[in-house]
Amino acid sequence: MSLNSCIQCGTCIASCPSGRITALNTRRIIAEFISSGKKVEERDEIWFCVTCYACQERCPRGIEITDTLIEARRTLVRNKGLPGRLGYAFTFLMNHAALVPAREEHVELRRKLGLPIYHAQFDEKAKEEVRRIVEKHAGSVVRWSSSPAA
Amino acid sequence: MEFFPGCMIHNRYPGIEKSIYYVFSVLGIEISPLEGSSCCPAPSITKSVSEEMWREIAERNLNLSDETIMTACNGCFTTLLEVGSEIGKDVRHFAEFLYRDVGIEEIRKKVSKKLNLRLAAHYGCHFFRPAEKKGVDSAERPKILDELIKAIGAESVNYRTKNMCCGGGGGVRAAATEVARELLEMKLEGLKEAEVDAIVVICPLCLFQFDTGQKELEKEGKVFGIPAIHYAQLLAIAMGMDVDEAGFEAHEIITQELYEKLLMGES
Repeated sequence: MSLNSCIQCGTCIASCPSGRITALNTRRIIAEFISSGKKVEERDEIWFCVTCYACQERCPRGIEITDTLIEARRTLVRNKGLPGRLGYAFTFLMNHAALVPAREEHVELRRKLGLPIYHAQFDEKAKEEVRRIVEKHAGSVVRWSSSPAA
Repeated sequence: MEFFPGCMIHNRYPGIEKSIYYVFSVLGIEISPLEGSSCCPAPSITKSVSEEMWREIAERNLNLSDETIMTACNGCFTTLLEVGSEIGKDVRHFAEFLYRDVGIEEIRKKVSKKLNLRLAAHYGCHFFRPAEKKGVDSAERPKILDELIKAIGAESVNYRTKNMCCGGGGGVRAAATEVARELLEMKLEGLKEAEVDAIVVICPLCLFQFDTGQKELEKEGKVFGIPAIHYAQLLAIAMGMDVDEAGFEAHEIITQELYEKLLMGES
């Protein structure tokens, strides 16, 4: 359903954990989109969404609110890069096939527990396959976001 | 059946994987590691950059196997289930598989050491929402994890913030750490009142947020001391696995009291 079908009931923001402590206000984001055409992708506060999907689950009009915020983030990323430490996360994904790569201590614990080490991070062919996919879709974003701030 | 560990289990909490293999051997179900699998990749944050990248990496992982793929992480479950349903792959989450396919009665029969603990169930948002895509449990009154907790002889304690998010998802932990920490504190305030032995999760990212997040809060002088453990670890111990095989070395917050109760079982 389009954002224009919103009846401003406020169920979304009442369900939003992040909205209790941040500037994220889904009801207002939709209200201002309807009344003045303010685009969702112009709102930095959508990075405060924990994507719990409570708003989307409960919306009586069936608006895909969480998915709308995630989609708008893609434009934000192209315009402003990734916020906080997210830039490092995608550098890890490109270089290690893991958003959360293992360090030696983690490998050591696997060995101690007698577990095999088989994540793509430790398999050169698999790692290269993932690196190519990340490079194709997000290479410039990763390089931009992980370079030191100007 | 093949086990998809994802980054958080393979690279942070291998004790969860050890526990799952133990549980499946007790149940007589064959499961082997999905070799060469990468990050799933994490649904919300990867889609926040590129939906095509998210789908293509997920397809690569799914195409590594023709068997049922088992996950024990709500993020991996979301990615693999959503993309898997488009390309005809069978994807299961450990908790819903136990509840729906193995069954509570069968689990109860295989428990050799009842754990008489007061536990707080934390489902994690992406286990059952969006319900339309997940179809595993009620989005407002989930019961799977509560039932699984009772099956090992423990009490699933109701608490004020039971249905609240851990606060770590959606990239918030990395993008706005202070927000993730404040949400965690709200969640923990409700947990503290309930005086539980531990928080039980079915997602290693929630576990990471509860465990590492509490360590961070301690630096601000806010001490809660509530251990977080994955249900797989708990069930394996209840089925007779040595407590020291559960990989608690990787956890920041494990109390001596909980450790002893896990060792002893119901006395």
